[in-house]
Amino acid sequence: MPKIFIDDRGVEAAQGLTVLQAADSAGIAIPHFCYHPAFAPEGSCRMCLVEIEGLPKLELACSTIVREGLKVRTTSPKVVEARKGVLEFLLAEHPLDCPICDKAGECKLQDYFEEYGLFKSQFKEAKEKREKKFRLGRNLILDRERCILCTRCVRFLNEITKTEDAGILSRGIHSEVGIFESELIDNNYSGNLAQICPVGAITDSDFRFKTRVWFLESKKSVCPLCSRGCNITIDSHPGFPRIPRSRRVYRIRACQNPDINSHWICDHGRYGYAYLDEGRQDKLVWKRGGRETGLNWDKAVRILTEKVRSLVERGKGSRIGVVLNTNLTNEEIFLADRLFRKGLGIEKFFVADPPPEKGDGFLLTADRTANSRGLQEVGLTFHAPDLKALSELDLLFIFGHYLPTAINPADLRRALEKIETTALFASHKSALDGLVDFVVPVPVIAEKSGSLTNIDGRVQSFIAALDFGGDGVPEWRGLLDLAKELKVEHRYFWPLTSPEAVFRVLQEEVPFFK
Amino acid sequence: MDEKILTQHFGVEGLFRLEVYRGQGGYKAVEKALKQMTPAAVLDEVKKASLRGRGGAGFPAGMKWGFVPQDVPKPRYLCVNADEGEPGTFKDRYLMNHNPHLLLEGTIIASYAVGIRSAFIYIRGEYEAIALRLEAAIAEAHRNGYLGEKILGTGFDLDVVVHRGAGAYICGEETALLESLEGKRGHPRLKPPFPASVGLFQCPTVINNVETLSNIPYIIQEGAESFLKKGLPRDGGTRVFGVSGMVRRPGIYELPLGTKLRTIIFDHAGGMKDDRELKAVIPGGMSAPILTADEIDLPMDFDSLAEAGSMLGSAAVIVIDKETSILDVLRAVAKFYSHESCGQCTPCRIGTAWINKIVKRLAGGEGEPDDIDAIIRLAANIKGKTLCPLGDAAALPLLSICQKFRHELEGYLPHA
Repeated sequence: MPKIFIDDRGVEAAQGLTVLQAADSAGIAIPHFCYHPAFAPEGSCRMCLVEIEGLPKLELACSTIVREGLKVRTTSPKVVEARKGVLEFLLAEHPLDCPICDKAGECKLQDYFEEYGLFKSQFKEAKEKREKKFRLGRNLILDRERCILCTRCVRFLNEITKTEDAGILSRGIHSEVGIFESELIDNNYSGNLAQICPVGAITDSDFRFKTRVWFLESKKSVCPLCSRGCNITIDSHPGFPRIPRSRRVYRIRACQNPDINSHWICDHGRYGYAYLDEGRQDKLVWKRGGRETGLNWDKAVRILTEKVRSLVERGKGSRIGVVLNTNLTNEEIFLADRLFRKGLGIEKFFVADPPPEKGDGFLLTADRTANSRGLQEVGLTFHAPDLKALSELDLLFIFGHYLPTAINPADLRRALEKIETTALFASHKSALDGLVDFVVPVPVIAEKSGSLTNIDGRVQSFIAALDFGGDGVPEWRGLLDLAKELKVEHRYFWPLTSPEAVFRVLQEEVPFFK
Repeated sequence: MDEKILTQHFGVEGLFRLEVYRGQGGYKAVEKALKQMTPAAVLDEVKKASLRGRGGAGFPAGMKWGFVPQDVPKPRYLCVNADEGEPGTFKDRYLMNHNPHLLLEGTIIASYAVGIRSAFIYIRGEYEAIALRLEAAIAEAHRNGYLGEKILGTGFDLDVVVHRGAGAYICGEETALLESLEGKRGHPRLKPPFPASVGLFQCPTVINNVETLSNIPYIIQEGAESFLKKGLPRDGGTRVFGVSGMVRRPGIYELPLGTKLRTIIFDHAGGMKDDRELKAVIPGGMSAPILTADEIDLPMDFDSLAEAGSMLGSAAVIVIDKETSILDVLRAVAKFYSHESCGQCTPCRIGTAWINKIVKRLAGGEGEPDDIDAIIRLAANIKGKTLCPLGDAAALPLLSICQKFRHELEGYLPHA
């Protein structure tokens, strides 16, 4: 590994890294606009110029490869002067519409001006007038006055989606990002363009003018909308619900993970966040003879435990069934297996999931649930719910609201009516609500902690990004409470009080998770 | 007249035809190189001749050829840079128009030396008639066995293709030329890698100016020593000076490198038109920093001009008289580079446009006291900070005009 010196600090840099990357890995930020780690260096913004000992001119940090003994200065007066120069040029033609720009607060031009600029504009001429809201794609709006021509968007479409939808038109000061006439950028990754735009040139019409970014709270999570397990950042309004708003979540962004999703997420995952706030189950309900009774979970646990116990005591344990789904975490699937199968000897396990759709060959998979690999690795087999088996039960635990997609509603109704007690643990309202006796609201992935196993077998743990507002419980908590109330394998379940504790046991018992 | 290498036979009628060219001793150098010399020997001879690139940068041609790796399995290419766009420059146009076979002969020898089987002549779009003339010359050369397969019965094959540009100054920059030749937008590439290793279609590529290659036949035929004698030890041969502006006889003059600028203007070009007074000279195409009338006793070669803070560039001498307003010169320079900036990198895209706006305002009588300082400051922010040499090409003349003629420019400010 070549050793280089950045501002007199010795840095060991891996062979082949650029100065910018080496500095970055040592915690030294070199400002840049056009450079993006996922693309080949472009070298056009000229913001990352640094001084390299022995060379007469300033050199690009983004494209200079490290070599033994290289001495780099990133904050010398010459370098700072050059940065100021670039900022002065960029701002000369940049509109001062930060107050109405969605990027304000997370804009690199704004940030660097705060850091290196803070000069008074010397520009006395008229700024170029350009298109302010050019529609680039379904959700993409281009403001050509704000554009600094870093070409990240063009390169994304050339190098990542390889759809080559956009390019630079015209020359010199008239240069602009353009697309083929009447052909909007339309691919499943277009939302990334707004995210990688370093300024407010490409904004997302899904997010445009809805809030200011500094009001948002950013939390990491894992996207559960397919089995890829892309890392995401969930931006929500912490004022909710104190400030009356219809939803908490304002946008989903890609969170970098080189092993899974690089810097990208698909539009399906980016824009499909309405489910977090819409159609949610919020009340724990017990229905008897057409009457609904509000319950708390403690009471519900006691009632359900009673049902289980009476069946088991009457030798009817085999008439208990469980429907799982693969949006449950590894821990929850594991707990369900250990409680129902090992603890209570229940044999009737089913898995009901949303049906697969088409994958896109890049990140989005055909499997639209987050953890089918996890279910497989825990050791459960996929049994589709079967009507006959269902109708022979006296007690059915249903996790997830996907049963109606697996069985047609009329048949399902007939089968469930025959079952003495049905308890539904669901995050969302569905046709099942009217067919069951208990409805227990549960959180979605973003609202709970645990781990998921993606399609390639990568186990990722996560913690809750959003608060769970319903009066139910996370499935793992529900399962543990049932186990404790039932006093099944007391010494086994008693110490388990968190998903982390469950995961440790899972690791001990299932080698895959080690 | 025997000191000339390139324009020696310009007076011969029909020189552009192969037969006539051959009658003047043409294609003998190809015979010699291909039949009597190894590629290494040709390369060696060119290196010894200290032939420096005639496009503007003055990089030694032999060294450039030597950078091309011979051990990669990819094809190698030669690109002839005939995108003559530097304002004031018109030498390549004459060379190609009068003596296209000389260029072809140089192209064949260069290709032989570097092991190239495909050469491209990238010619500026406006030179339509010359492009046709080159194509005719290529066809003649094919018919006579100087191009195509097994040239002159040797194992050497070469094809030459003429490609017309679409009229952008930037495509004269070698990497933008490659992009354009590949059918892409003419944007300069980031260097390194240099074209010698990663060039046209990602293959090793030599890019030489028309005049550079036209010197090759002489070097092979008469030897490096003879070539060196015509110029200077570090800068061999002659230069074709294109003199324009307020002189009696504008035109091209092939003279030994190191000829005094004063001699070029006052002897060869016949002195100032109407006996006007000399004010300034741009010695090497518009991107060369301007010289005042007191600075014309300079020898015209790469090193002397660099020492004087200017450059020989394309050896296009633009002569400016006292009656010409320096503001008009500034306006022409600012407008040109603003118009021709490709827009890829920030300082050049916005800097040249900004300066052009200031100069326009100044010329419109609305100048402000700090405008000249602003131009100097902005040009300094472009200089040395751009992706390709166009930034410097714009900044250097602007800086030199504002610095050397500040007093005259200040006279255009309204309060003055």
